[in-house]
Amino acid sequence: MLGALGGLAGFGSLLHPSIAKQIKEKKKQVCLIWLDGGISQYESWHPLPESKFAGPFRSIKTSIPGIHFSELMPNTAKIAHKISVIRTMATKDPNHSTGVPRMQRGDPLDRGVDYPYLGSAVAKLLGPADPELPPYVWIKPGNGGFIHREAGFLDARYGALALGDGRPPVHIHRPDGVTAELDAARNALRQKANERFRAYRNTSDIDAYETSYDMARQLMARKDIFDDEKLDPKDRERYGTHPLGRHVLQARQLLEAGVRFVKVNSYHWDTHGDNFNMSQRLVPQADQPFAALINDLDDRGMLDDTLVVMMSEFGRTPLINSRLGRDHWPDCWSIALAGCGIKRGAIIGDTTKDGAFVNGEGYDVGHLFHTIFSVLGIQSHRQKYRHKGQKLAIAHDDCEPIKEVML
Amino acid sequence: MSVPPLDVAKAWPSIELEHGRQLFRAQFSSDGRWIAAGGQDKLVHLWELEKDGKKALVGHDTWVSSLVFHPKEKKLFTADYLGVIHCWGYEKGDDPLWTIAEADRDNVRALVVTADGKYLISAGDDAVIKVWKTSDGKQVTELNGHEECIFSLALSPDGNHLVSGDLYGIIRQWSIGEWKEVRQLDAKLLHTRKENFIADVGGVRSLAFSFDGKLLAVGGMKEAKSNAFCPGKPTVLIFDWVSGKVKNELGIKGKSDGPFNALRFLEDGILAGHTEILHSASELTFWKVDQPEPIHSLKNGSGYDLSLHPDNRQLLVPTYVTGGSSGNGGRGKTPENYLTNTSVLRIFSLFEQPDEKKEG
Repeated sequence: MLGALGGLAGFGSLLHPSIAKQIKEKKKQVCLIWLDGGISQYESWHPLPESKFAGPFRSIKTSIPGIHFSELMPNTAKIAHKISVIRTMATKDPNHSTGVPRMQRGDPLDRGVDYPYLGSAVAKLLGPADPELPPYVWIKPGNGGFIHREAGFLDARYGALALGDGRPPVHIHRPDGVTAELDAARNALRQKANERFRAYRNTSDIDAYETSYDMARQLMARKDIFDDEKLDPKDRERYGTHPLGRHVLQARQLLEAGVRFVKVNSYHWDTHGDNFNMSQRLVPQADQPFAALINDLDDRGMLDDTLVVMMSEFGRTPLINSRLGRDHWPDCWSIALAGCGIKRGAIIGDTTKDGAFVNGEGYDVGHLFHTIFSVLGIQSHRQKYRHKGQKLAIAHDDCEPIKEVML
Repeated sequence: MSVPPLDVAKAWPSIELEHGRQLFRAQFSSDGRWIAAGGQDKLVHLWELEKDGKKALVGHDTWVSSLVFHPKEKKLFTADYLGVIHCWGYEKGDDPLWTIAEADRDNVRALVVTADGKYLISAGDDAVIKVWKTSDGKQVTELNGHEECIFSLALSPDGNHLVSGDLYGIIRQWSIGEWKEVRQLDAKLLHTRKENFIADVGGVRSLAFSFDGKLLAVGGMKEAKSNAFCPGKPTVLIFDWVSGKVKNELGIKGKSDGPFNALRFLEDGILAGHTEILHSASELTFWKVDQPEPIHSLKNGSGYDLSLHPDNRQLLVPTYVTGGSSGNGGRGKTPENYLTNTSVLRIFSLFEQPDEKKEG
């Protein structure tokens, strides 16, 4: 929790409105759960058992009368009244290589720049929620490190600190033989060398290097965040012992510690083959930690200030292919949002009866980014990036926030 | 009428029964007069071959996952993904004779009936084999031991043993009547779980005994590359039944990236198998099982089951047919022209095509 701000909560009405707003904005946090490859909407948010495109699984009641999810999401079905689901995403791009960056960069109008990924954008636009912690942490399978590419045209320091397999950065623990004083002297020497180096070279690369170093030092001071011994075994059970469960639980810890934006990646959702056997095993791995996180944030009084988004780069085809798989389908698919200015229990979207197409326009990623920025208190049309003297929109000029899911 | 000699190298598609939805299971009745099939549309479809008749039985609430005819009586057993088994007197009446509401926690993936016709045996997601009386659907016993879902079942030709194959590539042998586990066979080659996978892939997808009971063919795929596309190398392991050792490993010559969903032994020790492939033509493959290379193959869409007619000269394959909209994205498709994929029940005659048919 943001302990330093917690003490001010009761005095909000006594503060100047602009300061109160700043404090409120400071509290906003985000957790993006990214199911890379594309979760099937029919096997999760929009089962439509009477559709000719339905899979074989049961459709189950949720906590919202008349709304059903797939039986593969029993935990999320119980907390449907706490979340919003948009069933009419229509996002154009059917390819992974371009769809992933498009969905995570928000696809503003092309002005010849690489826009930042969402976590970097939020890190830039809101800054760190706790100045002693990195603003953007990415928990992912595989290797970690400082991923400055996520920042796009922004300074490299807005990149993601990636925790490979959820492990803390290497060397987070100061060796026993190095005293605090010696460590400080070491850092002072490093900074001096960097200053000299900076005079003749691209500053962004040096910023990235320094930022990664600073973040490691920050985390050295907060290594309790990575102390698994402190975890309640019941939490581990509730979130699941699979990688996504462990990583979403770690995301909760990072949010509690005060990290502004946490992204959690899970790979291998691209079920072109054996979709039904795979969905039977994969979807529960998302359902379990997603529901646990929503419940925990709610119980801790954090949900109203923490935005949780679970999504992919697209959904999966209504048609079932020759390998009993589903291919890529950006034409009509579902994402889930919760917390922080998002309505509770708004399951929206008008689709054709079989769920294959949107009736009407649907929502593109530009609408989604306006929504995300808006609920975080960022004026998504007025606020601009500045890059080489150019003002750049932070979200697509022609899109608007999705009011149906906003408070 | 004399039976033409078996000649798989000259096999040809003699009958095609088209269906507007995808069918995953199809079997000949024990007298060869009927075909039953099931799949996505929740119906049990019956074709009476000699009369050119067709009907559909309504009873399942989800995809039909498995079906088998009674070997002696006019009964058909069908199962689904929600754990339901129906018994149909398919020649008379359209309602189930009896129903088992909870034969499995979820998907009943395999059904067999013992040669004497007394027992229906089911297995699936809950990893428990259940034995039922074919007369009334009452449970006789259950067989525990598998730790993951069971994909396939087969009965030895002598009627004494059942084999079951699971996701982990474990095959268990059980005695019929005593209902005891006899031994395990190792087909773990057909299971893959790499460090970066988030699910197990593969499993024993098909099982078939040779006519003399000396060989057990075990189908699936090896070396899966991911748990997303689930691509792998379609593979058959030939076990010597007495020793329980693998005698040979069979593959295919052509392209395929999915498992062998179905295997059937023919006369002369020939094995037939069918696999699947993404967005392309698959093949029906024939081997002499002492040779690793196929002796013949026929191009066909992805196939999910194989049934041998009692005349031993016709092989039935429920085959995938694209509706023309497969692949990524709508690409200009509309609700009006975005069509479902479909099926054809293709019967291959396993002998040289008579001249009059060729001309026809």
